[in-house]
Amino acid sequence: MDKKILRELTNIVGEEYVSTRKDVLLTYSASASTSYERVFPGAVIRPKTTEEVSQILKVASKHKLPITPRGGGSSLQGEVIPQPDGLVIDLMRLDEIRLYEDLQSVTVGAGITFAVLDKYLNKHDIWIPYYPGSSMAATIAGNVAVNGAGFGSPIYGCVAEHVLGVEVVLPDGNVIQTGSEANPNSPGPFLRYAFGPDLTGLFIGSLGSFGIITKVSLKTQKRMKFFDYNTYGFETVEQAQQFLIEMRQNDINSLWVALYEGRILDFFLDMVGEEYGVPQHEWPNYTVSAAFGRVREDQLQSDVNAAKDVCEQLGGHVIGIKELPRGEWEDRLREFVRSSYVHGWHWRILYHHQPLIQWHKSMNELWAIMDQYGILGHTAGFQSQRSYNFYPQLYYDPQDKEEEEKVIEAHRDLSKRLFKTGAVPFKLAEYWKDAIEGMDDYMAFLKQIKSMIDPNNILNPGLLEGAEK
Amino acid sequence: MTEIDLEDLIENLMQCRRCGTCRNAVYENKGFDGVCPVWRNSAGFETSFMRGRIQVALALLDGTLEKTPENAEALFTCTLCGSCTEICAAEFDPMECLEKVRAVLSDIPNDVRDALAEKIMQYDNPYEEDEGIKRNWIKEVGFDVPSVGKVLYYTGCTAGIRLPNIAKSTAKILKTAGIDFAVLQNEPCCGSVMIRTGRVEDAKKNAEKLAEVIKSAGVERIIVTCAGCLKTIRNDYPKLGIELPEVLHVTELVQEVIKDKKLKLKSLEGVKITYHDPCHLSRAAGVYDAPREVIKAIPEVEFVEMETNREAAMCCGAGGGVRSYNPELSKKMAADRVRSAIEVGAEIIATACPFCENNLLAGVKIEGSKTRVFDVVDLVAESLEK
Repeated sequence: MDKKILRELTNIVGEEYVSTRKDVLLTYSASASTSYERVFPGAVIRPKTTEEVSQILKVASKHKLPITPRGGGSSLQGEVIPQPDGLVIDLMRLDEIRLYEDLQSVTVGAGITFAVLDKYLNKHDIWIPYYPGSSMAATIAGNVAVNGAGFGSPIYGCVAEHVLGVEVVLPDGNVIQTGSEANPNSPGPFLRYAFGPDLTGLFIGSLGSFGIITKVSLKTQKRMKFFDYNTYGFETVEQAQQFLIEMRQNDINSLWVALYEGRILDFFLDMVGEEYGVPQHEWPNYTVSAAFGRVREDQLQSDVNAAKDVCEQLGGHVIGIKELPRGEWEDRLREFVRSSYVHGWHWRILYHHQPLIQWHKSMNELWAIMDQYGILGHTAGFQSQRSYNFYPQLYYDPQDKEEEEKVIEAHRDLSKRLFKTGAVPFKLAEYWKDAIEGMDDYMAFLKQIKSMIDPNNILNPGLLEGAEK
Repeated sequence: MTEIDLEDLIENLMQCRRCGTCRNAVYENKGFDGVCPVWRNSAGFETSFMRGRIQVALALLDGTLEKTPENAEALFTCTLCGSCTEICAAEFDPMECLEKVRAVLSDIPNDVRDALAEKIMQYDNPYEEDEGIKRNWIKEVGFDVPSVGKVLYYTGCTAGIRLPNIAKSTAKILKTAGIDFAVLQNEPCCGSVMIRTGRVEDAKKNAEKLAEVIKSAGVERIIVTCAGCLKTIRNDYPKLGIELPEVLHVTELVQEVIKDKKLKLKSLEGVKITYHDPCHLSRAAGVYDAPREVIKAIPEVEFVEMETNREAAMCCGAGGGVRSYNPELSKKMAADRVRSAIEVGAEIIATACPFCENNLLAGVKIEGSKTRVFDVVDLVAESLEK
């Protein structure tokens, strides 16, 4: 990287927090995304404050320096792979937490992980009932930038639904605050949809392509203390899908709902069954694993009874094995991380949402892809309000380049097939570009916004193809 | 250990999926409030915790990174505390792998590592002191200690040379408990730091020398006060093909003798004590309860745990060769640990490793704190004296 630019960057954060060392750049050339080629940035910088981020973006804008913001580095689909010779902004030092107990909200810096915040809130007997499966490593801001989902999503949806506002540094270095906090006299975050259009939403799932999120304000809730768990069996996929829908329609507070096809469940239990203490069982064609949570015990009992009634009315049966959903829920801070370590394989993943009623379509496409390409795979997922958040994984041996190439091709093909079923991604994602068809006006509008906000195209360039000048 | 299967090592390193849990995970169910002490106390780039270290290791092994001291720095700023191993979800041991990487890449120049090994080979200790100095403390205990016998107190370099109070306290405890013991006339270093920093061939030669000395002294049981010596003799020597008699950490022995009512402990007048788990005694050897039980056996002591303790305890920064390789970083970690003790209102930090004690004392100095640091045996000895 140009020495003059480096001097300017060093003047902002101090020498200690800028690096161009080859070993350091190597470690920022990849993330938890396996099966993505390394790209070496030109430098890495670790700012401490929003003001420093602002000054960095002013320098970057002046020199048209491509920027990749990075949080916990736990993302799985190449989100923080930098640009060649670009600048990575590591945001982990932005580690403030400010609680607004009376407003039922909290504001966190971009370096705060879910697990750190959860421990903090626990002391106040409150929480944010949302845990992505990488909560011990993922930052909240990073997860907002990819619009993640996880434990708690069956009731509350994606992380977006918990957000009250964001503080964002725009590419020109200006800092804006969205939501009620946009009012400088505001006592804090209490309303997201303030001042009309939802500017907060523009940055959620944007992968930092419109601005860098430096703070996130979220809703807090009284911590639930009463939990129950159960498994439900169904012979047909239609019954199982309908069970998920009707649990929502009956206001059953299911914090975790996963629908497993028989053979997929066997595979999953092979990974974690023993650890979770799940007894041997002849699982039905379709099994729903559910964890329920409530603030009051009477509410919980009512939910448990209602779930049983709904299940039986649909022709299903209560299996009664609680260890599976209990294990999943209690392992929620790292459940996904754990399941990533299956059998020594690496994998390429393809997150997407599918309407509950179309759960089977994603499954069908995954099986078809595995058969066609002769590869191994697995999918898990969970309910996220009205949709099912799938994360199919296509496996390869990391030391077998040919197999890895095959998986990359299959992954590309799968995204096209899934798009045709009506499935959607929940963020701007490079790997969907080839799949998207018939959305020309939508994409053109998005690019117009990008060109307006980021005329030098410095933030995550390439994500919105054609937006570059 | 000497024959490292490179292919197997690489396969293990590739088990890392780069999830990042090894950085600053908080996991209340298991007591974790952060994982890597280096990440917390350095500039915090990815190279400062295990995820990055593994990437650097793989890149050095496959040639992506040139084998230079600068590129290898990430390998040597790790204390090998094992905290990441404790929380890692993968089916491999990152700490053990990194130690092996240091051995495999021992051709990369590292003056600090080489100087340490050479001092040990030349002086039998890393402090460049003359042979026999490790018995100097005996002059102050008021009774004779033979150099041969069935029970050997293997003093270790730091207690024998830098912190002789630990040795004197140990001697008093053993004497009071009626345990006859010997201290070697010329005691070779256990070679822990050589193994940790990758000089494994030299470590093996050194270990053979120590084994010979111990054998000729007619030893049947070894008592150590240093957690590093314990891990080395108990865990590493068998991997080097060297079998020694049973080795016990002094806190394991003292727990036994207190249980057998061979020691009468008197009050330390309501002092508030916390305990710092030495990584080599706790995570490496599984000794968690003995030192705690010993402290609690002292009447009127108020025992308090730090936020992280036992399996999830934060390292003091002394180990893995870091105290020599990057003393400033090492002391920062110690100061961090001292702050944890201050947070819970401890007046005394007790530990069970002279190397930890030495670094925690440096941490106290940095913090300008009145907190005192003692080895558990010092507390017991003081309690005996009252």
